[in-house]
Amino acid sequence: MAAVDNTQNPAMAQEGALTRFMRATEIDPRMLGMVGALLIIWIGFDIFSSFLRGGEALFGGSFLTPRNLWILLVQTSSIAVMTTGMVLIIVMRHIDLSVGSILGFTAVCIGTMQVYWLAPALGVGHPAIWIITLALGLALGAAIGAFHGTLIAYFGIPSFIVTLGGLIVWRGAAWSVIRGETVAPMDRNFKLIGGGISGTTPGSIGATASWILGLVICAAIVWLIFHGRKQRKRFNFGLRPMWAEYFLAIAGCLVVLGITWIVNSYYWPKGVVDRWAQATGVTIPPEGLNIAFGYSIPVLIALFVGIAMTFLANRTRLGRYIYAIGGNPEAAELAGINTKKITVIVFALMGMLAAISASISSARLDSATNALGQFDELYVIAAAVIGGTSLAGGLGTIYGAMLGALVMQSLQSGMTLLNFESATKDIVVGCVLVFAVWIDQVYRRRVK
Amino acid sequence: MYRKFLTMAAGALVLGAASMSSAEAAGKNICVSWKTFQEERWKTDEAAIKAVVEAAGNKYASADAQGSAAKQQADIEGLITQGCNVILVVAFDSDAILPAFQAAADAGVKMISYDVLVEHPDALYVTFDNVGVGRLMAQTMLEKGKAEGDFAFIKGDKGDPNATFLFQGIMEVLKPNMDAGKIKNVCETFTDGWKPDAAQKNMEQCLTSVNNKVDAVISQNDGMAGGVVAALEAQGLAGTVPVTGQDGDKAALNRVATGTQLVSVWKDSRVLGQKAAEFANMIADGKALTEIPGVIKFSGGAKGVEVNAVLIPPNPITKANLGDVITAGWVTKEEVCAGAAADVEACK
Repeated sequence: MAAVDNTQNPAMAQEGALTRFMRATEIDPRMLGMVGALLIIWIGFDIFSSFLRGGEALFGGSFLTPRNLWILLVQTSSIAVMTTGMVLIIVMRHIDLSVGSILGFTAVCIGTMQVYWLAPALGVGHPAIWIITLALGLALGAAIGAFHGTLIAYFGIPSFIVTLGGLIVWRGAAWSVIRGETVAPMDRNFKLIGGGISGTTPGSIGATASWILGLVICAAIVWLIFHGRKQRKRFNFGLRPMWAEYFLAIAGCLVVLGITWIVNSYYWPKGVVDRWAQATGVTIPPEGLNIAFGYSIPVLIALFVGIAMTFLANRTRLGRYIYAIGGNPEAAELAGINTKKITVIVFALMGMLAAISASISSARLDSATNALGQFDELYVIAAAVIGGTSLAGGLGTIYGAMLGALVMQSLQSGMTLLNFESATKDIVVGCVLVFAVWIDQVYRRRVK
Repeated sequence: MYRKFLTMAAGALVLGAASMSSAEAAGKNICVSWKTFQEERWKTDEAAIKAVVEAAGNKYASADAQGSAAKQQADIEGLITQGCNVILVVAFDSDAILPAFQAAADAGVKMISYDVLVEHPDALYVTFDNVGVGRLMAQTMLEKGKAEGDFAFIKGDKGDPNATFLFQGIMEVLKPNMDAGKIKNVCETFTDGWKPDAAQKNMEQCLTSVNNKVDAVISQNDGMAGGVVAALEAQGLAGTVPVTGQDGDKAALNRVATGTQLVSVWKDSRVLGQKAAEFANMIADGKALTEIPGVIKFSGGAKGVEVNAVLIPPNPITKANLGDVITAGWVTKEEVCAGAAADVEACK
């Protein structure tokens, strides 16, 4: 083999087994730490809940059940979508405090369009309604974001101030659109975006499609590893040892198939099966009918957004520029990067992601209210920061932030499941945020 | 500086109004000091008050404190100077407004604390019976929903005393059945900012933790009831598990019509305005506070000061009396009845 093998480097001879393993597989230790923390939280909650009530989950509790994990993923999706954009904003040394309010405003606009304009004009449940409102909603979110970006980039107003103003303005605007009323119910096709059940149609893709999707992702992982190795050879880069490549491929596939198995183990509740059977005329066998939910649509949206944003951040010129600006804005500008234009683009992107989250949240709630998304900006920023995004700029990963969102939601859902007081929940979540950032700092200092 | 300017401007306006009204004085002057006019509901109250006041041949005047305790104090002082006989006050800050109440009492002007309690012994307190809302929710649940089984309680924001008042009222009614072991409290949780999406998450976790064994849900308002119903629907339970609420939201009234919500306790602000205005007319004509119909002694405030109060019972809207909100003009039949169940009389 002509290429260099990483393990042959003499400097690494004295390293411990774990360090060598980490280096060989090139896994980000911070990500491994976060996954570890997540597992500890999950198992801890499950054991804790087994003492309280008992259940049929792995450790005798009610947390690690397919049902709870399925709901956990759905509950995380809205914040996870927004946090992918927040990473890029923070990487560029900006902040966006207005995402929760943009979410509320676009949700209310989408709701108003559906209930008061399009449903009477096209007829309730018309198949074009959800497409039109979704497209207009995304455009609206992007326009608001671009407006903020313009104020920041071309008028030189600090992003903190612009978006703080946006936080107040768009919440007020959301109230004004419908004078504080609740808009409901949402269009029945649109509702599927939230993952809930609309009549007898569930907002998830079912068992077969989920397995197919799982296998496709597996194949993609294997191809990525194979292709990556080929490329590295071509450019004579350092290679991972073969065992590490196999390990990554197998571990990745196991995780994906494991998650697929979990979402396919959550079956339609009895009430829904009965309703479905009634509508379709199917007779339910005496032992009951197990219809799996599979991946829910909001989770798929979050997954797609995550992949697209990762691609954008790592593989496109725009992404490279964003990190370059974050690393050193002056140098980037001197190097000929149009930092102003990129600022506008990134804020527009953030606005659009907030609109996607608005669609998920309002579809899930089956109504739009002016309070929707309140305080979300804090959770979005916290998720990004827990996920290793540095507020000093230049550093941060999309997958880290999404994992951060999952950690936060796990804590909240778990404590609700255990009937914790909400004051306790706030205290724990706040402490975890500070603790996570401290750990991250300690790690970074040691690596240096 | 800005606030000072506002106060001065308001003072000037009030003085101007005063010279006008005294020039053409006829009947009594009934005045209102609003805490803020940004919320739409106060406009509803105002229309009701104005109608009753003017029907009795009295004059109506008002001032808007724009969400400032200092401005409200200046407003009230201005209204006293203007020659108001009775002032209704929706207090922005019920403690900071006390000096203004004392000044009014000293000037012989009668005060009514409207909707928000001001603990001044000379003022009449007119409001909806808030503990009563909780009682009504629980009573309706027992009579028309479930009288036994596993109950979930979705409470409002932990920082809002109303959430606690409501819960007291609810528990008062449910206690006998809970002590007898008929009702079990399986989940009880506060909801940040009374947010519907937070309530949905709380309800989802509740259903997961007891494996869907929930027979009834006491939600403290309509917005949260929306989240609760969405969570129930995802488990195919909507319509079989009765849910309570309050506020008379359009969406909630529609849920009552379609059968996914049992009751929305409705506080008709027009009734509140109408009653308060009637009382104001009576007081202006010299009636003592203790002679007001339905008056009681109330000392449930933070400081425990005993005041004369009229607590107006709200109206629990269920399928049976859904017509009340339609005939009152609160909502249209089309809004409420979309997709209504067959047994709803008001939607036929």
